[in-house]
Amino acid sequence: MTARYVRGVVGRGSVAAAMALALVAAVAGCGREGADAGARGGSVVVGMRADFGAFNPIVNTDIYTDELIKYALFTPLIQYDAELRPRPYLAEGWEMEADTAVVFRLRRDVRWHDGVPVTAEDVKFTFDLAKDPTTASLLASAYLSQVESATVVDSFTIRFDFSRPHAQAIEDFWWAPVPKHLLEGIPAEQLRTAPFNVSPVGSGPYRFVERRANERLVLERNPDFPAALGGPPALERVFFRIIPEAPTMLAELLTGGVQVDIPVAPDQAAQIAENDALELFAFPGRTFYYIGWNNRRAPFTDARVRRALALAIDRREIIDALLYGHGTPAAGPIPPWSPLDPGVEPLPYDTAEAAELLEQAGWTDRNRDGIREDARGTPLRFTLTTSDAPLNRAVVEVVQAQLRRVGVAADIRIVEFQTLLAQHRGRDFDAVFTNWVLDNFQVGSAPMALFHSRWANVAGSANRSSYANPRADALIESGIAETDPRAARRIWGDLTRLLQEEQPITFMFWLNELAAARRNVQNVEMDPRGELVSIARWSLAGGGR
Amino acid sequence: MTAYLIRRVLGAIPLLLGVATLIFIVLNLAPGDPTAYYVSPGVAPEVIEQVRRNFGLDQPLHIRYVRWIGAFLTGNFGYSFGQNRPVSDVILDALPNTLILAGASLVLVFLLGVAVGVLQAVRQHSWLDRVLSVVSLFFYSMPSFWLGLMLMLIFALKAYEWGWPIALPPTGVTSIDYEFLSPGERIMDRLRHMVLPVTTLTLVLAAGIARYTRGQMLEVVRQDYIRTARAKGLPERTVILKHALRNSLIPVVTLLGLYLPLLFSGAVFVEVIFAWPGMGRVIVDAIFERDYPVVMATSFFFAGMVVLGSLVADLLYAAVDPRIRYD
Repeated sequence: MTARYVRGVVGRGSVAAAMALALVAAVAGCGREGADAGARGGSVVVGMRADFGAFNPIVNTDIYTDELIKYALFTPLIQYDAELRPRPYLAEGWEMEADTAVVFRLRRDVRWHDGVPVTAEDVKFTFDLAKDPTTASLLASAYLSQVESATVVDSFTIRFDFSRPHAQAIEDFWWAPVPKHLLEGIPAEQLRTAPFNVSPVGSGPYRFVERRANERLVLERNPDFPAALGGPPALERVFFRIIPEAPTMLAELLTGGVQVDIPVAPDQAAQIAENDALELFAFPGRTFYYIGWNNRRAPFTDARVRRALALAIDRREIIDALLYGHGTPAAGPIPPWSPLDPGVEPLPYDTAEAAELLEQAGWTDRNRDGIREDARGTPLRFTLTTSDAPLNRAVVEVVQAQLRRVGVAADIRIVEFQTLLAQHRGRDFDAVFTNWVLDNFQVGSAPMALFHSRWANVAGSANRSSYANPRADALIESGIAETDPRAARRIWGDLTRLLQEEQPITFMFWLNELAAARRNVQNVEMDPRGELVSIARWSLAGGGR
Repeated sequence: MTAYLIRRVLGAIPLLLGVATLIFIVLNLAPGDPTAYYVSPGVAPEVIEQVRRNFGLDQPLHIRYVRWIGAFLTGNFGYSFGQNRPVSDVILDALPNTLILAGASLVLVFLLGVAVGVLQAVRQHSWLDRVLSVVSLFFYSMPSFWLGLMLMLIFALKAYEWGWPIALPPTGVTSIDYEFLSPGERIMDRLRHMVLPVTTLTLVLAAGIARYTRGQMLEVVRQDYIRTARAKGLPERTVILKHALRNSLIPVVTLLGLYLPLLFSGAVFVEVIFAWPGMGRVIVDAIFERDYPVVMATSFFFAGMVVLGSLVADLLYAAVDPRIRYD
C-alpha cells in the first residue's frame, strides 16, 4: 500500500549481488520444467525478495503484502480493470449522491474463510478503525483523507459521506474490509500486534494456510469463492518463498525451484527475455526518481539554476544505460499510465539552453577552470547526496559527469538510506537523488504532499524542497476538487508545466517493474495494477498434477 | 569446578548488561527510525508521529532505556516493529535454523581443519603440504558470499543443467513438498539443503584452523618429549595422535570459543545467499529497518554467544590440558 520497502529491484547495496551478476549472467539456458508439489490443480512457487508485512489492510505498510491482500486473501470494495477504471468487486454497485456521498450495495455471497458472511458492518468497522488516529493506519492516509463517515444502511448496504467533492472519489474505496467478529475485541492501539495479522482469516480467492517468517507463505484455493468474482482458483496452492539475493533467485528460477520471480533486477532482464522457458514482465510502476533541490539554499534559490540543471541532465542516457531501457522519462507528478495524464512532454536534454540560463543567472566560468563562478567568485559547486542502493550510486555518477559538461561541480555523497532520509527530512542538504512510490492510482495526493506550500515548513513532511508558490497551491487544490476528468487533465497539465518551469525538484524517471515467470504458469498478467493482479486465475499448463 | 562455573556466569551478567546498554545507546544515536521505509509522499507527518508514538519512540532516550532494560530483565523482549509480533517469537523461529547451520559447520570446521593441519605437519615440505597450503590459503582468503555463489553456480545451477544426479537445491531449508515426504525422505531433503551453506561456512573457517594446527603441530613435534616418545619405540601414529596432537590442540581449542561468534557472523552472509531463514537474516533486516527491539535482543544474544564461547574455551582447556584445574 503506502509504503514500499525500498528493496527489490533497486534494493539496498549488496556486494554479493554486484559481484555475482557478471558470473550468473553467463549462465543462461535452461532445461526441464520444475516439479510441482501438491494435488489436483497443482501449485506454483513464487519467489519474493523480502518477507511480507501484516496481512491486515489497516496496519500493513508493505506494497507486495498490499497486493496479496487485495488480489488473494481479501475482497476490496472495488477493483480496477486493465484501463485503470474502477469496477465492482465486493460492492456489486454504487450510486453517487451529488459528489458528496456514495452508497455501495455489497454482494451477499462473499464469506469470510470461517464461513461468516461479509457484511456492511465489517466495512464500517474497518473504516472506523482505519480512521482512528491511534491505529496510525496508512490505509486511512492513502484512501480516506476525504471520506468523512460511514453509515450502515442495512446488512449489505453502506453509505460514505465525503468531506468535500473530489476527483476519483470511487477510488477511495480500493481497500478490503477485515472481519469485525474476529477483531472487535482488540483495542486499536494493540491492533498492530494482533495474531490475526500473521495468520489472517480473509475473504478472497485464496485462504491462508501457513507462514514461516523469512522463509515461506502458503495459500490454498478457497473452494467457496463466488463464481461472479471469478470463482475458486485453478491452483490448489500457491507457495511464496523469501529469497533475498537476486542472483540466488535467478538460480532458483532457472532450476525451476521457483516459477514466478518478483521482482527481477534490471540487469537480469535481458537474460530472462532470451530464455525460452521464461517470460519477462515489464510494466510501468508507481515509483519515480527525482533530484530534490533545497529551494532554501543557494544556488537553488534561483529557479533558473534549477531549470538549467534539469536541462543539462540526459535522462534517456541514464534510463538506457543503467535501467537497460526499463524506465520512462518523467515530466511531472502525474504518472504516464494514469487516465488523468496530461501528456506533457518531459523537459528535453539541452545543454545550450542550460548554459544560457546559467549565464543569465550570473554563473560564468570566470577563471577558466571549467567550473562556473558567480560575480563574487563562488564556484557553482554543491553536494549531491544519495543512498547506497546500487542504482542510486550509478545514477548520481552519471549526473555528476553530465553537469560537469555545463560547468557545474556536483560532489557526490553516498550515505545509508536512513541517514539520507534524516538529512532530507531535516532540510539539511543541497540536493538529493531519491525516489517516491505512489500509494495508488489517485493522482492528487502526491502533488499536494510534495508541492503545496502548506507543507513547506512542516517538519517531516514530504515537501522537503520547501517549495511554496500560490499558483501551484491553487492548481493543486482545484485539481483535487475537479470531478470532471477532462478539466482535471487540463489542470494537472498546467501544474506540470509550472513545475517544469520552476523545477522545485527535477523529475528523473518512472521505474518499470520487472518480474519473470516460467512459461508453464499460465494466465499470468502483470500491469500497473501489480504483479499479483491475476493470481486468482493462474494455472499450470496441462492442469497440473 | 561448579563454583568456577557459577563465578564465571555471574561475572558475565554485568558484562552483558554493559554490552546491552552500549548497543542501546549506539543504535539510538544512529540516524533514522522505523518509519523510514514509508516512501509514499501521501503519508502525513501526523501519521508518522503517531506510528512513532505507538512504538514508544516519542519518549526521551533515558525513559526508553529504563523501560526497555526493566522489561528485558523480566524476559519481555517487546514486539518487533517490522514483524508485528513478539521478539521472542521472531528469535525462536530463526534460532534453530542458525544453530543447525552453525553447529554442523563448527563440528566440520574442527574435524577438517585439525585433520588437514596434522597431515600437513606430518608431511612438512612434501608436495601434499604445499598443495594443502595453497588450497587452504585459497579458501581462507575467499569471502564466504563469493564461495557460496560459486558453489551454488556449480552444484545447483550447472549440475541441474547438465543433469548431474547430485544437483543440489540452491536455497532454502526444506523443499516445498516437505510435508508430503516420508520421514526418511525428510531427513535426506534437509541434508541436501544443508550441503551448500554448510560447505561454504566450513571451508572458509576450516582453512584458518588448518593453518593454526599445522603451526602448533610443527612446534610440538620439535619438543623433547616427542623425541622421547619416538626413542622408546612408540609407533609414529601413536606419537602424533596421542602425544603431539593433544598438546598442540590446547591453543586450537581456545579458538573454538572465538570461532563460535565468528561462525554466527559468517552465517549472516551465508544465510542471505542461501535464503536460510536464520538469525543473520533477522539481524540484518532489523538493523536496516531500525527495528530496535529486535536489534537489541539479537545483539544481546550474539554478545551472550561470545561470553559462552570463551567460557567453553576455558572449560575445554581443562579437558585437554591436565595441568589446568579450575577450583
